[in-house]
Amino acid sequence: MEQGLQLREITKYYAEGPNRIAALDHVSISVAPGEFVAVVGPSGSGKSTFLSIAGALLRASEGEVFLNGRNITKLSDKELSNIRLKEIGFIMQSSNLVPYLNVLDQLLVVKRMAGKVKAEDKKFAIRLLEELGLGSKLASFPEELSGGEKQRTAIARAFVNDPNVILADEPTASLDTRRAHEVAGLIAQEVKSRRKAAIMVTHDERLLEYCDKVYRMEDGKLNLV
Amino acid sequence: MFLAMKEIMRNKTRFSMIVIIFVLIAWLVFILSGLGNGLSTLAASVFKNMDADYVVFQQGSQSSMSKSLLPEQWVAEAEQLPDVSAAAPMGSTMATALKGQSNRNEDKVDIAIIGIQPGTFLEPPVVEGERLSSDHPNNVIVNVTMKDEGFRLGDTFQLDGSTESLTIVGFVKDQTYNHVPAVFTPMAEWRKIAFAAPGSDKGIADPVNAIMLQGKNIDPRAVDGKLTDTDTVTRAKAVQGMPGYKEESGTILMMLVFLLAISAFVLGVFTYVMTIQKTHQFGIMKAIGARNGFLSRAIMSQVLVLSLASIVIGVLLTYGTAAIMPKGMPFKLETNLVVGYSIVLLVIALLSSLVSVRRMTKMDPLQALGRVE
Repeated sequence: MEQGLQLREITKYYAEGPNRIAALDHVSISVAPGEFVAVVGPSGSGKSTFLSIAGALLRASEGEVFLNGRNITKLSDKELSNIRLKEIGFIMQSSNLVPYLNVLDQLLVVKRMAGKVKAEDKKFAIRLLEELGLGSKLASFPEELSGGEKQRTAIARAFVNDPNVILADEPTASLDTRRAHEVAGLIAQEVKSRRKAAIMVTHDERLLEYCDKVYRMEDGKLNLV
Repeated sequence: MFLAMKEIMRNKTRFSMIVIIFVLIAWLVFILSGLGNGLSTLAASVFKNMDADYVVFQQGSQSSMSKSLLPEQWVAEAEQLPDVSAAAPMGSTMATALKGQSNRNEDKVDIAIIGIQPGTFLEPPVVEGERLSSDHPNNVIVNVTMKDEGFRLGDTFQLDGSTESLTIVGFVKDQTYNHVPAVFTPMAEWRKIAFAAPGSDKGIADPVNAIMLQGKNIDPRAVDGKLTDTDTVTRAKAVQGMPGYKEESGTILMMLVFLLAISAFVLGVFTYVMTIQKTHQFGIMKAIGARNGFLSRAIMSQVLVLSLASIVIGVLLTYGTAAIMPKGMPFKLETNLVVGYSIVLLVIALLSSLVSVRRMTKMDPLQALGRVE
């Protein structure tokens, strides 16, 4: 059984008037555990569609998605939501935290979605936040955090359920160079130490040094650089 | 509950405004229901508190005491009918009690004279003094509210426009009729008062207004079949037949129904607007794996917490209001009424939030990722 995340011959059509546009055109990619892959490309190239399909948010028109060897192409909405909860960690653009939860609760709410919060879950969440340098911010609310801190909270949130796959969508979009490097470095560090298959969509070329492989998306086609 | 409470604690001002609105609505619902209950008690508590199941009226009397006349001898006949365990006659007439020979306004009191046979199931238990007796037809038992008008045990009062005078020998509780206190007299005395004018008894020997029947399984049609020209109805129907009763309770009920409908919309719209405002948040949470059930519970439990808090505050305010209300106000809170309307309000709140839940389930987690190419 192949570990990590595999997309095989994924094609996604969008209907646009009488024509259909292929946002993704026979895209295949394989990411092994511990591997950090970057996908770059101009806007409109299909990066978001690609990430949505890899993240079980969108169904492909053709092709198959395998997660740890399991084909998730044909699962129901409820099962997909469960996959997203347990197997996939999303790091979205900043400010995607829940505004009325403090830093620790941002992580615990994910645990709650899956059931009860145990004492060890709480310990794990605190350790994760400390690892990411947020030990002193556990009780802070998003509006009291800087952009970098928000994004580090989002990273911790992505890792809290110990998923197999980490997907990052422009995680450094609103950060200055120093913070962008810090955030990308932290993602890379966690991905390596926890052996996750990770994909980062970005158009920030400064960050590619942290990634093992770089793919370029152009007009729905994905090519290794 | 977790998300719901965290959000409430973080946005106290916003949520307390919603609570204030709902408290005001709940408060008004409870006050109106207390007022409606008080009014209907005032109008018909003699009927409501008596231990009868069916009422026999004259045919064509529209279930109204004042339009019905029957001979008392039918009481014995009615008692013989199947399923009838007891029967008793009753008469009613409106009168004015005069304290002494005074002409002052406050010394004239409207009363309802209820004629019954002493010792039947229609005679209410006295809370003070003694019971009616056929040997002393001028001895009466009266509703305890007459004390507030200055009448004491043993007082004798005159009836306005009549030569009859009555002596109070006992007090009874919760006995009002047509919004005025009831005065129970033996049948013979009631006849003297009600049929003082010659011919007003229409030639019926020993007339009464209606015959009350006890017996859970009585078939009204069977009763009407045995007796001539009668119309037998349930006690509830007889209450409805009282002049003005339907109109009065209908008005209150209409206001209550409107109020409940308004509360459904106000709460529903509030929750809906807040849910739409949170589209982005719900999208993020769905993207990281929150199921619709998890988020639905968050919405519903938030509405539950807010409406429960509002209802409890509303109930407390209502009891507070009741405590400072003037004594003459026909306001009567009953625990089961308060509990009943609390449940109705709670159910309405939860049902109205279903619209928001439905909206939330349709939200697309893809929106959280910002853009769909």
